[in-house]
Amino acid sequence: MALVTLKDISLKNQILTKRVQNLKTVYFRALPEVCIERPRLITRFCRENNLFGKERITGLEKAKLYRFVLEHRTPVVWHTKAYEKGMKPFTFRDNSLFAGATTSGFKGVPLYPEFMALSLWPELRLLKKRASNPYQIAEQDVDELNDEIFPYWIENNLTELARTRCFSENKTTCNRDKYAPEMALLERLVFFLASKENCISHTIPDFSKAVNNGLRSIIDDAARRKETSINDEQREFFDSISEVLEGIITYSGNIAVEAKKMAEKECDPEVKQELVEIAEIYSRVPEFPARSFREGLTTIWICWTAIHLENPNIGLSLGRLDQVLYDLYQHDIASGALTIENAIELISCLWLKIGDHVPMIPNAGEQLFGGTGSNQAITIGGIDIRGMDAVNDLTYVMLRATELMMLRDPNLNARYHPEINSKEYLRRLCEANINTGATPALHNDKAVIAALTSKGETVEQARDYGVIGCVEPGSNGRSYGHSGSILLNLPSVLELTLYNGRHRHTGMDLLISHETGNCSDFASFEDFRNAFAVQAKWLIGKAVDLNNILGKIHQDFYPTPILSALFEGPLDKKKDLVFGGAAINSSGVSIIGLADVVDSLSAIEQVVYKDKEVTFSELLEALKVDFSGYESLQKRLQNPEKTPKYGNENPHADRNVIWLIQMLDTTFGEKTNYRGGRYRVGYWSMTNHAGFGRLTGALPSGRKAGENFASGITPVSGATMYLTQALNSVAKLPVEFLSNGIALNLKYTPEAGDRKNMIDHFTSSVAGYFDSPAGTTPGGMEIQFNITTHDTFVDAVKHPEKYPELLVRVSGYTAYFKDLNPRMQKEIIDRTEYLLSNGNAVVFAPFPLTGGNKR
Amino acid sequence: MLSVKKNLFKVLSIIVFSLLCRFFLKLGSGKLIEQLSGKVTDEFLELLFRGMKLAFFLMKDYRKNLQNFSGRYFFNTSDGSVAASVVFQNGKMKVYGNEIPAWNIRITFKNAGALRRYLFSKDQDILNSILANEVEVTGNLNYIYKFGFMVRELMLKFGIN
Repeated sequence: MALVTLKDISLKNQILTKRVQNLKTVYFRALPEVCIERPRLITRFCRENNLFGKERITGLEKAKLYRFVLEHRTPVVWHTKAYEKGMKPFTFRDNSLFAGATTSGFKGVPLYPEFMALSLWPELRLLKKRASNPYQIAEQDVDELNDEIFPYWIENNLTELARTRCFSENKTTCNRDKYAPEMALLERLVFFLASKENCISHTIPDFSKAVNNGLRSIIDDAARRKETSINDEQREFFDSISEVLEGIITYSGNIAVEAKKMAEKECDPEVKQELVEIAEIYSRVPEFPARSFREGLTTIWICWTAIHLENPNIGLSLGRLDQVLYDLYQHDIASGALTIENAIELISCLWLKIGDHVPMIPNAGEQLFGGTGSNQAITIGGIDIRGMDAVNDLTYVMLRATELMMLRDPNLNARYHPEINSKEYLRRLCEANINTGATPALHNDKAVIAALTSKGETVEQARDYGVIGCVEPGSNGRSYGHSGSILLNLPSVLELTLYNGRHRHTGMDLLISHETGNCSDFASFEDFRNAFAVQAKWLIGKAVDLNNILGKIHQDFYPTPILSALFEGPLDKKKDLVFGGAAINSSGVSIIGLADVVDSLSAIEQVVYKDKEVTFSELLEALKVDFSGYESLQKRLQNPEKTPKYGNENPHADRNVIWLIQMLDTTFGEKTNYRGGRYRVGYWSMTNHAGFGRLTGALPSGRKAGENFASGITPVSGATMYLTQALNSVAKLPVEFLSNGIALNLKYTPEAGDRKNMIDHFTSSVAGYFDSPAGTTPGGMEIQFNITTHDTFVDAVKHPEKYPELLVRVSGYTAYFKDLNPRMQKEIIDRTEYLLSNGNAVVFAPFPLTGGNKR
Repeated sequence: MLSVKKNLFKVLSIIVFSLLCRFFLKLGSGKLIEQLSGKVTDEFLELLFRGMKLAFFLMKDYRKNLQNFSGRYFFNTSDGSVAASVVFQNGKMKVYGNEIPAWNIRITFKNAGALRRYLFSKDQDILNSILANEVEVTGNLNYIYKFGFMVRELMLKFGIN
């Protein structure tokens, strides 16, 4: 049976219903509100059950905690109030087709005091007034956090538990660098970030069991398996599964009761009927199998709120919803119970619900990571586990809903197989990018599947991949990979090599790593590269050690029974995900600053060793003074016609980039994580290329101190004047070294006039990029776009109020341009922009940095 | 009628008392207030501790910060010229002119200005402190978060945002 039956796959005649338009207006009007319900409830439970100060918290204890919260949290049916600019409250009519919420607020900021919530403590009274992304918070909530919640977590959040573990002796008198080198490196900010302090999350649950069988069936399955368990640990694990799922069922039931009460008081018959429907649906799902498309969506939504109760709202992703829900959708359409308009309305309402929370980011973090949403990726299209075309009507319906809604969350990602999916489908994806300016990101199935199978996944597992967080591929419901466990600042490795184990940021008197020799004494580029590899191995070792330490803390204090219940593997293996219960147990790493390092290596090779234009000492001197007095050298280093640059299909630069990604993949791949899996490497940066760039001095590539690095795997802005060369350079990278995903961020100038031509050019460029050149590699792995004029971006800096919905692709996820800090806005404006008509770069002068983020 | 008058009197007394406390707090913290908004000297840390102690003494709501809270802090400059410790315990705040054993957190700063920027940072100042290596923090960061909250509360009581 054909999966695509739509006459017009663009669905251009479908528009948003009045209900959704109104809700969307409220959504963009509302500011985030801090919600203290979760920290209040978990603190109370931990106090009453003496969980503070324990050596370890079991999965069952954790499950009881989550059940307690689920059963006592406010069963929000519809919101009535939110806050707008100036923190002014306003009321509105919420008639979403979905009840329940991630927090008690319309657009909430959930707090996780077990992790990083305490970093918000100093600014609690000032959150409403902070310049960047303010949060509403009630004064009595500030008092309660300060007096009755946060104090209990001072010695009990993950960072402190880990720090204690890192010290084997008296923690107050030990020299930090000697006894906790990994933590010390982390705290210096400039070497790497270890995300486990904040979360694991970063995975895709398996919703199919919940949707098709209901949670009650999973509880029954757990009970059966408990009877054949061989020890208390296994029995406790199955009890923990039952506990949390009963909690979710109770929460849904509470919503149903609340909806029924509201219906009884409601006078408007239409509204009354809607509430009655909500009560009926929530009485049934997610306990029992979904019987309709709406019930299926509701199951996913309620489970999603529960997953966010347990796991911080960073990078959790929903997977292939067009596959999970297709049967229900098709059944309802065929029976006449659902129209395409209904489906778009439902999906739009769900998309708003999914975006009903933002991650908590303290003010200092706003400068490094500001503007990010929760990075909840949804994946559509591609092929199925049999290798057949999986694009269906629901794929196009979800795409259209995304196009109409223009939300940053969920973050839509589209899979495309060049040999199996249709060109019409690809064309439609390109058209959606032009219409939205930034979404969806596109992933080449052929390349991704090859990358995943090279790391040991079966073909079926790899074919069923979804996108996690930004761009990381992971098998749906099977891969617990913490795809963002380490974010490594690669230019720091360069620093340690250039300065013989020292880093300019931490001071030239302090030996950070090992001494690998003075650069001036290296006889050849090979010597330098070998020293680089030694420094890389050292830093990677430290980052991995810390990740594993933090992982063990998660095992001891943060088991995840809710996620484990909705995952393939834990029930079979009889253990929680944190103990390796998943079918696939990798850890993911992202490398920041690849292009800048490749260009620096190429510059050293060419200018110092081949042309012998400067000595290494002279080069170091130029870096020390930020090229002041060495302007002609800087120009030489930056000139792609004289110095090889990555992205220009230059053989020397290509050789260096391949050497680098292979070395990194091999070095990380040798390491084992705390769950028994291996590390995988990717190249995406979120906003860290701006943050780390700010902390890094001038580089041999000609980059000046404090400037942003290039994002993701993208060549340095301005280095590559031709689109085809940029695409080819990335497409030829061996995918087995890129298994944790890449973000190739390109900017196209929207062409005025012939729209059909523009879409054609766009589609051809992507098709060419995904194509396999001479059968060597499976083509480029991923690509994402910003399609907005330079003038629009510049105007948006000056008049953000005119562009509340201007969506951009940062380096992985989508964000609203107005929410980005000045440094990130500049980075996006300065990205090389290409004309699709001829593939040439359009040159603009660098955008001046405004605001307080100048260094 | 009598009880209304009594209640009114009670409310007015509370308001007047609160205003008086605020007045005396500002009066007693004049130098600190100057240094918070103007030039900073090496006395800054000492003045800050005095201001906090006075606020704890005069203001019940500020005193609530001491409930359920114990913390041991050591502040020093990188050249060792300034060293002071403060202990919060049993609802009290005690200041020492030297390093104390078993501190929960050590804050080493380049100079008084660096410390002020770190504690009272707006926008980019905290990052600038780290960038310039002006402040180094060793130990449990959660304690400095709590300290930062108390300091900001003090500023709000002075009427400084």
